[in-house]
Amino acid sequence: MLFHTWPFVLFFLIVYPTYLAVKGTRFRLPWLLTASYFFYACFNPLYLILIAYSTLLDYTVVAIMEKRGRRKIWLLISILNNLALLSLFKYGGFVTENLNALLSSLGIPYAIPAPGLFLPVGLSFYIFQSMSYTIDYYRGNIEREKSLIRYATFVSLFPRLLMGPIERARNLLPQLHKGPKISKQDITDGLSLFVVGFFKKVALADYLALYVDKVYAAPGEYQSPALILATFLFCWQIYFDFSGYTDMARGIARMMGLRLMLNFNNPYLATGLGDFWSRWHISLSSWFKDYVYIPLGGNRKGTFNTYKNMFLTMVISGLWHGAAWTFIIWGAVHALGRFLTRGLERTSFYRDKVPKIAKQLFVFGFVTFAWIFFRAESISDAWIIITRIFSSGLANPYCPLLALALIFTVWLYQFAYESRLKWLLEARAVRIGIVVLMVLYLAIFAPSSEQPFIYLQF
Amino acid sequence: MQKKDITEIQDSSRVPSNVEVPYGSNCVRLSPREWLIIGIFVSALFYSMPMLWERIERFEPAPDYRLPYELSSDYWLYDRYCRWACSRYETLVIGDSVVWGHFVSRDNTLSYHLNKNAGRNQFANLGVDGIHPAALAGLLKYYGRDIKGTKVVLHFNPLWMSSKKHDLQIDKEFHFNHPKLVPQFTPDIPCYKDSYSKRMSAVVERYVTFLSWTSHLKITYFESMDLSAWTLEHPYENPLKAVTLKLPASENDAQSERISWKEKGTPRQDFQWVELGTSLQWSFFQRSIEMLKEKDNTVFVLVGPFNEHMLKGKSINTYRRMKSEIETWLQQNNVSYYMPPALPGELYRDASHPLSEGYAMLAKQLFENKSFRSSILHSK
Repeated sequence: MLFHTWPFVLFFLIVYPTYLAVKGTRFRLPWLLTASYFFYACFNPLYLILIAYSTLLDYTVVAIMEKRGRRKIWLLISILNNLALLSLFKYGGFVTENLNALLSSLGIPYAIPAPGLFLPVGLSFYIFQSMSYTIDYYRGNIEREKSLIRYATFVSLFPRLLMGPIERARNLLPQLHKGPKISKQDITDGLSLFVVGFFKKVALADYLALYVDKVYAAPGEYQSPALILATFLFCWQIYFDFSGYTDMARGIARMMGLRLMLNFNNPYLATGLGDFWSRWHISLSSWFKDYVYIPLGGNRKGTFNTYKNMFLTMVISGLWHGAAWTFIIWGAVHALGRFLTRGLERTSFYRDKVPKIAKQLFVFGFVTFAWIFFRAESISDAWIIITRIFSSGLANPYCPLLALALIFTVWLYQFAYESRLKWLLEARAVRIGIVVLMVLYLAIFAPSSEQPFIYLQF
Repeated sequence: MQKKDITEIQDSSRVPSNVEVPYGSNCVRLSPREWLIIGIFVSALFYSMPMLWERIERFEPAPDYRLPYELSSDYWLYDRYCRWACSRYETLVIGDSVVWGHFVSRDNTLSYHLNKNAGRNQFANLGVDGIHPAALAGLLKYYGRDIKGTKVVLHFNPLWMSSKKHDLQIDKEFHFNHPKLVPQFTPDIPCYKDSYSKRMSAVVERYVTFLSWTSHLKITYFESMDLSAWTLEHPYENPLKAVTLKLPASENDAQSERISWKEKGTPRQDFQWVELGTSLQWSFFQRSIEMLKEKDNTVFVLVGPFNEHMLKGKSINTYRRMKSEIETWLQQNNVSYYMPPALPGELYRDASHPLSEGYAMLAKQLFENKSFRSSILHSK
């Protein structure tokens, strides 16, 4: 039951009016929790066991910490339990596959049986959210949440359950405490966010996927122009796909009087890689910063350690995305890029002399290159793509011009948004015109397919 | 503005919670009043576009028109054609590819020969290729709303009961024709396994004319693809140029070679007929009759003629028993009908489709049939 499908519309048409009716009563949270669990069970009822287990354990650990003091052992139990869940479901296959390859290369005739477990959707997201709660409590940053129902709602809140944003307890839990005041503006803001997200997903991401999937399925059959364009299109596909989901999630939550954090802030306008990571998947970037990079020492222990910490954080971030070497390399490429540009970004020459557009295009080019590893089916495929980009011919790529036109329109809009021309985009006629065009485009031309979100696999 | 570097800033888990969450990263934020304006404007557009389109896109069917084969799933056009035919023709001939004339040219269909016998353009060909009774019931219900107070020759092709698969009774999923027209939720069609989202989408499309009109655009101008898939096939073409506002001409030619099943060497078949009482397709056909009668139409049912020469073994007896049960039901429900005997074997292309001479013979038989004369040829 994804946001851009009819079953979700039906689900929301039942959940939302009831929510409005009970929002001022003690039934608000039980209703929200029931709706969230039902939403999750629609993917697979067995998932409920996992989320309930993770929720109960972290709730109990924090309760014990409150009673017996903030001792590290309890924090470790929570972290190890959560990581064990992730490892089992997400990395079990990857680890056994690599161990078996190692055993085979050593000539040992034994193969460890693969766990054969499927990855429950949203696991990485709610595990991280739950972990942040225990860590924040341990650090003394937040109070314990006494109500199990409220805590369970915090972990499982359906708009953000599948793909985030990975909310912090200090932002979301207080909102679940008080009965929300939902104004007309909240509802229309939610609607605006939802429509933009829906357009990004259905009209743009799913459209670009058609070309990207075709080329990336057999990169050896395509030449340089097609491979470059497919990578360029993927760069935007993944942005539209994920930020589209987030917009929809934030829109739905906003209609319910809940404000979820901003997760994407026009990342392809970044002027540096650090800037990029403060605009891309912000909730995850800040999670890694707060719970991995800073605990490792951050930038406090000299240059070498700073780079080491950055490298580890980026590689772990890559691994979080998926259990494959391509994701690890993707993280490592970003870390290396960060090493190379960090110093440069601090020089007055780069800051003051290099035109902003040049910085933006440089960062965009680098990020696009790194996406090759993220999207390729395997390291060998990634290598084929890179080598063929530089060595193959210039055959006609047959890339739809309409797709490119749509991308450049959005890019231009974003440039205008962060420029002095922003007033133009704020004009009523422009805002209304854009929404009308999006709605009509969706109604007339939108594909009827139900492509899942890319990040759903993480 | 210099952005913060995530590697430089402090632990944000300590940031106070009362910081206002930014709205978004674009200016598309509308007030309730602005949404109201959009709602009214878009609703008006949704309502008026299909009607305006009918004025822009010329649709002037010639005599003996039949829907182009590639537009078989264009239900918006079918609806439009229905309205047009109801206003100009006395009798509508409705059914599957037997009525549409899959193996014959436009001037050799059943309606053509009926018109020839009548000496005037009385019969309109409203056949749709591949439309089985379950889909036909949906077609008439949602896109044949204008068939009221007129005469209808409704054809029943027993082929749809020739196996559990044809009757849609098997549990294993298979892709049959016109899935958007069959009941999406109840009654349950065991082999229909589309996602809930697709089913709900099909239901919504039936009631929102705008959506069936957009399907019309896709089918007619974009080779039955949505815009994105079409641009993948035509990467450098302007999609607006594809909207020529010219509907494909009526289908003049047969869809396949016009030789008989015998010449083609088709072996005789042992069909596993389903029982009439348990047949899904028959129950949908009954529903179509009731629907048409409820709308004050004069309904005349034509059963077959099935190619009995092609049947072997027990199959022939089972078929005859089923035929007599159908006849009993039609009689009990006061439905005018004709169950012609099988045509000569060489006049069939396959189990159910006659060839040109077969249609001519069938039309002649109908004109000689008392019930047909009294219900269809007799002026209302």
